[in-house]
Amino acid sequence: MRPRLILAVFLGLLLIAPLVASEFHVTLLNYIGLYAIVALGLVLLTGVGGLTSFGQAAFVGLGAYTTAYLSATENLPGWAASLGGSPWVGLLAGLLVTAVVAFVLGFLTLRLSGHYLPLGTIAWGISLYFLFGNLEFLGGHTGMSGIPALSVFGVELRESRKFYYVIWAVVLGAVWLTQNLLDSREGRAIRALKGGVIMAEAMGVDTARSKVVIFLVAALFACVSGWLYAHLQRFVNPTPFGLHIGIEYLFMAVVGGSAHVWGALVGAGVITVLKQWLQDWLPRLLGASGNFEMIVFGLMMIVVLQRARDGLWPILARLVPQREVRRDVPQGEVLPRKPVPESGLVLLEARNVVKQFGGLVANNNMSLTVKAGEVMALIGPNGAGKSTMFNCISGVNPPTKGEVRFRGEVVTNLNSRQIAKLGMSRTFQHVRLLPTMSVLENVAIGGHLRGSKGVLPAMLHLEREEEQRLLAEAARQVERVGLKDSMFELAGSLALGQQRTLEIARALCADPCLLLLDEPAAGLRYLEKQSLAELLRKLRGEGMGILLVEHDMDFVMGLADRVVVMEFGEKIAEGLPDEVQRDPAVLEAYLGGVD
Amino acid sequence: MDLQIALLLSQDGITNGAIYALLSLALVLVFAVTRVIFIPQGEFVAFGALTLASFQAGKTPGTLWLLVGAGVVVALLDITMALRSGASRRIPRIVGWNLVYPAAAAAVVFLLKPSEFPLLAQIVLALALVVPLGPMMYRLAYQPLAEASVLVLLIVSVAVHLALVGLGLLFFGAEGSRTPSFSDASFDLGLVTVNGQTLWVVGASLLLIVVLALFFERTIYGKALRATAMNRTGARLMGISTVMAGKLSFLLAALIGAFSGILIAPITTIYYDTGFLIGLKGFVGAIVGGLASYPIAAAGAILVGLLEAFSSFWASAFKEVIVFTLIIPVLVWRSLTTRHVEEDE
Amino acid sequence: MKLRKLVVAIAATCSAFVVHADITVGVTLSATGPAASLGIPEKNTIALLPTMIGGQKVNYIVLDDASDTTTAVKNVRKMISESKVDVIVGSTITPNSLAMIDVVAEAETPMISMAASARIVDPANPKTKWVFKTPQNDQQMAIAIAAHMADRGVKTVAFIGFNDAYGEGWHQEFIKYADTYKFKVVANERYSRADTSVTGQVLKIIAAKPDAVLIAGSGTPAALPQVTLKERGFAGKYYQTHGIANNDFLRVGGKNVEGTYLPAGPILVAAQLPDSNPIKKSALAYIAKYEAAHGKGSISTFGGHAWDAGLLLQNAVPTALKKAQPGTKEFRAALRDALEGTKDLVGVHGVFNMSPSDHLGYDQRARVMVTIDKGAWKLDK
Repeated sequence: MRPRLILAVFLGLLLIAPLVASEFHVTLLNYIGLYAIVALGLVLLTGVGGLTSFGQAAFVGLGAYTTAYLSATENLPGWAASLGGSPWVGLLAGLLVTAVVAFVLGFLTLRLSGHYLPLGTIAWGISLYFLFGNLEFLGGHTGMSGIPALSVFGVELRESRKFYYVIWAVVLGAVWLTQNLLDSREGRAIRALKGGVIMAEAMGVDTARSKVVIFLVAALFACVSGWLYAHLQRFVNPTPFGLHIGIEYLFMAVVGGSAHVWGALVGAGVITVLKQWLQDWLPRLLGASGNFEMIVFGLMMIVVLQRARDGLWPILARLVPQREVRRDVPQGEVLPRKPVPESGLVLLEARNVVKQFGGLVANNNMSLTVKAGEVMALIGPNGAGKSTMFNCISGVNPPTKGEVRFRGEVVTNLNSRQIAKLGMSRTFQHVRLLPTMSVLENVAIGGHLRGSKGVLPAMLHLEREEEQRLLAEAARQVERVGLKDSMFELAGSLALGQQRTLEIARALCADPCLLLLDEPAAGLRYLEKQSLAELLRKLRGEGMGILLVEHDMDFVMGLADRVVVMEFGEKIAEGLPDEVQRDPAVLEAYLGGVD
Repeated sequence: MDLQIALLLSQDGITNGAIYALLSLALVLVFAVTRVIFIPQGEFVAFGALTLASFQAGKTPGTLWLLVGAGVVVALLDITMALRSGASRRIPRIVGWNLVYPAAAAAVVFLLKPSEFPLLAQIVLALALVVPLGPMMYRLAYQPLAEASVLVLLIVSVAVHLALVGLGLLFFGAEGSRTPSFSDASFDLGLVTVNGQTLWVVGASLLLIVVLALFFERTIYGKALRATAMNRTGARLMGISTVMAGKLSFLLAALIGAFSGILIAPITTIYYDTGFLIGLKGFVGAIVGGLASYPIAAAGAILVGLLEAFSSFWASAFKEVIVFTLIIPVLVWRSLTTRHVEEDE
Repeated sequence: MKLRKLVVAIAATCSAFVVHADITVGVTLSATGPAASLGIPEKNTIALLPTMIGGQKVNYIVLDDASDTTTAVKNVRKMISESKVDVIVGSTITPNSLAMIDVVAEAETPMISMAASARIVDPANPKTKWVFKTPQNDQQMAIAIAAHMADRGVKTVAFIGFNDAYGEGWHQEFIKYADTYKFKVVANERYSRADTSVTGQVLKIIAAKPDAVLIAGSGTPAALPQVTLKERGFAGKYYQTHGIANNDFLRVGGKNVEGTYLPAGPILVAAQLPDSNPIKKSALAYIAKYEAAHGKGSISTFGGHAWDAGLLLQNAVPTALKKAQPGTKEFRAALRDALEGTKDLVGVHGVFNMSPSDHLGYDQRARVMVTIDKGAWKLDK
């Protein structure tokens, strides 16, 4: 069966489920839907973005409590009573409250890195739980009842069979939004958060913003789930929003397959159904004494994770034939380009750059310039500090002392994102790409700054034209560097040399006026080197400045207009290729002296 | 609040903080060596204390059955593996640790009467039952996943925690237990009276910390663990087995957990599910220490203890709200002052 | 994809096991989670209930809700729709019971709660019409304590309770009687069940210098504040709630809980009741039965609430059977009516006299004041 067909069958089954399934199975599906919405947020946040949160249950609570408070009008003070009474007001208010709270919490906790973040989420998860329980106007620990049922178009949704359609419409809507988001310019930035932050920043992605975005989206999903929960249950108390439940949501996401949108549904489904199943069957198997459900559930989950550490979805997905890889090269109008600086203009000027790591001086008093329309090569033995210099220039790791000017502007204290915006783009010595994304998508990250459409248009797929143009641009760069045949392959499956070439395409996709290439020819075969040199000459001809670190002397000397030689972090020679090759200091450095 | 109350609260905070500190050390150790965030740490606290309480009540603790059961499973798995890889000379050792040892423990529990043992012997026996569960747990739950991501290991920890809490309820029931004090002495220090058990808790914690420090500094196993913590691959290349390091760190964590439980059982009531919150607070300390630094982790744990004591005085209903809200700025501060490489995994 | 198949497969297997005919009693209780110490004896008691009532076979379906509201509601929906239960018994705790009301009212299935709060059955409205309960209301117990305090000249009281629905409910009820019984509540502290220390709260209580302290917790966790208060030398009167009434509390509290006063159902001191009290016989019979199954000293008053629920059913089912067949809507309605019409039914906690406005139906006989004397419960006269 084809994936599309399976999807259609799945949707069909969802549609008729409440007509054929028993009341309780509909109830179960309702809960699965509610959980899946939250787990979906976690897929985005944790699985894709790499930010682990234990606190999602608290956001569910915010959604549930806001609507409970506003729609059970008897709780309201007089002035607000006229506004309340409607679940829809509750939803809007809930989203607003959640957005504000999530923004504040995100502002505080997203700065936390590594393991500080999960603990931060535990901290506010517990705080909010006890806050719900101790605020009298929210019904305290005992809870609030009298929440009205939801009405859609005048139909009161008291029965779970009717409510089912609302829940699953929301689930599918959330799936659609999430998939759209991930399949967009913003989505590529989000997917770069896990393991590609330095690269993404160097391509101009504001990763801090991306983090806030997924945090907000996940919180709002949770809030909507809470809103539905409150009107389904028509009673709220703090226990469903505690830390234990927060952990359970994470559990669902991971067991389902936290890197996959459908994993959220699988996780929510499997865990809910498994618990029911254990509740039904264990007493029969083991007799009625004792409560073995939790024990068996825990043990089963250990086994599941040992067998499927990426979750269940990848295993299920393997059962169906691979989704057909898109073969047509994206076409689109050419993106506007920045004006090219006049040839010969000094683009980059580094003056007396010093970089210290603790006591170690990696760069000492380094100066160099790159002009538009020239290839400048930075060479030197291993460990001479060339890549450090690159990082100083591109803002990845700013210098300790000294000054870097780019296009006349002092950029010493700018971060790599701001520098990228000015028109500098780079590759990395140790390849930094996202192995599970296609070559095309990796290259498209380079074009991040050439698009402008934000998260909302992306989620609603209102940015398709811009996206098409971006992908077309990426495709052109892929073609230009000679990777056309692998355009739709996973970047991780390329050979190392090709991955380096991919990085060049990605850098070119940014439409830079200065290109920093860190050992672009390493791992390439002779013919590939030839065509790379050809490409660089062409770029030079178009007026681009190129700063090149390379070990292959033939390659460098045949290409470079000027050469700077480094040793032990200092410049030992500078000049035309021929001059440098004859310089005794250089010969000393490379050959250990010519006695 | 007067000085006396402040002193009493500090004393209380430090006592609890000492336990959190012990647990945070264990958590740091386990994480550094295996990358496992060891949520079930708290269960060892409960198991240690409740096993001791069972002896004192003249009952057979369920942990004995867990030890025997886990031992059998580990033995089956390891023997199969040993046979497959042709390393049959390892079998006697496997049988010894996983079958003979639990059987011997069972024999002691059934043939002799632990309820009549002196306290010290009961404690040793309780530790002897609970501590080996640590390495067995590593073998069963974590060893097959040694290379998985931190997130997956974390979720496995949650699963182990769920299973153990379920077992705890089954073994020990829903009601709690207290054990008698190690000492009934109390010391009058002018404004405050310090009771003997408090001194025991703080003293034993300090002693254990010193012993651990010596272990890491002086012994070959300690050095091996430190090497693994610093660089897993490097350590493996140097012939330090990851499995050995993992089991050893779990053994130590189980020892620290069970011992902590036995230390505090006389001053509080321990329930089958007590461990989670205690462990969580130890975890807070561990994270404040960046899951790397032992002294900062201990300091963080003491801080949690003090925060808790004072906020339970000021606004007890909002104690958790206060403690956990105040932790966020500490985390932000720690996060900003610790250098770390953004590029993970 | 797979998921749907799984659901369908499970649906098929489950429905194959649904028993029709007979009377089906659906029980959801908190056998795990924070309220497990209450839920476990209830669960044990359900197993002792008769399997034949009025010549009809009775099936009990017992589900654990892990002290969680969502699970409790899920359980109720499951039992109503899958097992077509005729009556729901449970849950153990107040929030769960409150959350279940909507569901049973919609399904028109009577429910007998085993949780404390009066909010579960009051006020009488179309929803609570279907809901009954067996444990004494907090209110009734709170008045007992307040009156007992007033008799002994207590003017100031400190309150410390669980930081959950139990502690909250008690505080709300208790402070209502401050004026009537002329005492002042001088401290209101909370602690969590799993807290390892309550020193902060205790110091604050001692600083407020109350004549008495009321501790609102259930099971062994209620001992910690009292032990800490004793250690810190608090010499006033100690009051506990009926939540502590099991022998584990005595074991953990030891000497520190001597002289504590608490209100409780008469079952706690059944043997000490005068023979003229009808509850004595009923309670002793239940205790004998429970201890025969679970060992001497294992009795807990919470199990008694489940037993009383059983007694209510044994009383009401024969009446309802005359009107309709089990498994039908009519039977459920008849059962509800019969429950509401319960008169002079002697339970183990009290005597039930229900009416449309009173779905508990206890009177003064449902509570006695008890004190702890030499490590045993003693009727306080």
